[in-house]
Amino acid sequence: MKDKKFSAWLSTFIFCFLFWLLLTWSVALREVLVGLAVSAVVAAFSARFLIQKDAFYMYHPVRLITLVFYLVVIFMWEVIKANISMAAIVLSPNLKNYKPGIIRVPAADKPSSAYGMALLSNCITLTPGTITMEVAEDKHGNNHYYIHWIDVTETNRFKAGDIIKGTMEKWIGRIWA
Amino acid sequence: MIVVDIISCVLLAVGLFFSFVGVLGLIRMPDVYGRLQASTCIPTMGNICLIIGGVVHAIGYGMDTATVVKLLVIMLMILCTNPISNHSLLKGAYNGGIKPVREMVMDDYKEDQPTYKEGETK
Repeated sequence: MKDKKFSAWLSTFIFCFLFWLLLTWSVALREVLVGLAVSAVVAAFSARFLIQKDAFYMYHPVRLITLVFYLVVIFMWEVIKANISMAAIVLSPNLKNYKPGIIRVPAADKPSSAYGMALLSNCITLTPGTITMEVAEDKHGNNHYYIHWIDVTETNRFKAGDIIKGTMEKWIGRIWA
Repeated sequence: MIVVDIISCVLLAVGLFFSFVGVLGLIRMPDVYGRLQASTCIPTMGNICLIIGGVVHAIGYGMDTATVVKLLVIMLMILCTNPISNHSLLKGAYNGGIKPVREMVMDDYKEDQPTYKEGETK
């Protein structure tokens, strides 16, 4: 237990220190020393919120490259598509008679960890037109996303899930499983 | 230099257009749900295109690397914090009992009433 706490602290400390270097963007001795002190204090308080199981899970080159590729290519493409359809709704006369609704979308097996599901919910919220309200488990143990959708074009829940999530769920499943 | 100017101006124009769409949606949409959905255009496309335009300008005119990094950190901060506030605003409006002006086609949240158990991690 003691060892686990230390590794959680260490991984949060490295993350905080890298972020500090990014923000100050200088390697003067004074800046680095203050950064080390601040990161140590911050990591001591926030490690138990950030780390749950495996402390060094994200310090893995393949996962980091996959995450960057996902954010720059896959997520950006979904955002561009959703922005254009949102602009079409807003700029059309009479607001195009859009049909809002809250739809329950079943989650796939792959991102079943808390981090993966949180990242997917936030990505769904960031694409204009869909906002995640809740991630809940039903009595059979399956996870569901409750999503407010501005224009319900598909009432079948599985097909609607394919439209809303696109390829994002598959890619996040490769990162966080 | 003229190429840098053209690229950054096009990116700024695209970002301004989508920010305009977001603000227009904020005015035209009839209820709080539609307004929240339309305003998501501003922190995604508006924010990203404006900041990438600034980055292209900073690189093209040979500015400090710190400027570029700080611009990217600002973009990342907005992208990380926006969905949380958006999600909690919509859920708060729904649980507060605000009726949507346009009738919802389907409302699974009302039918199922999913309960979130405090302190449970999956």
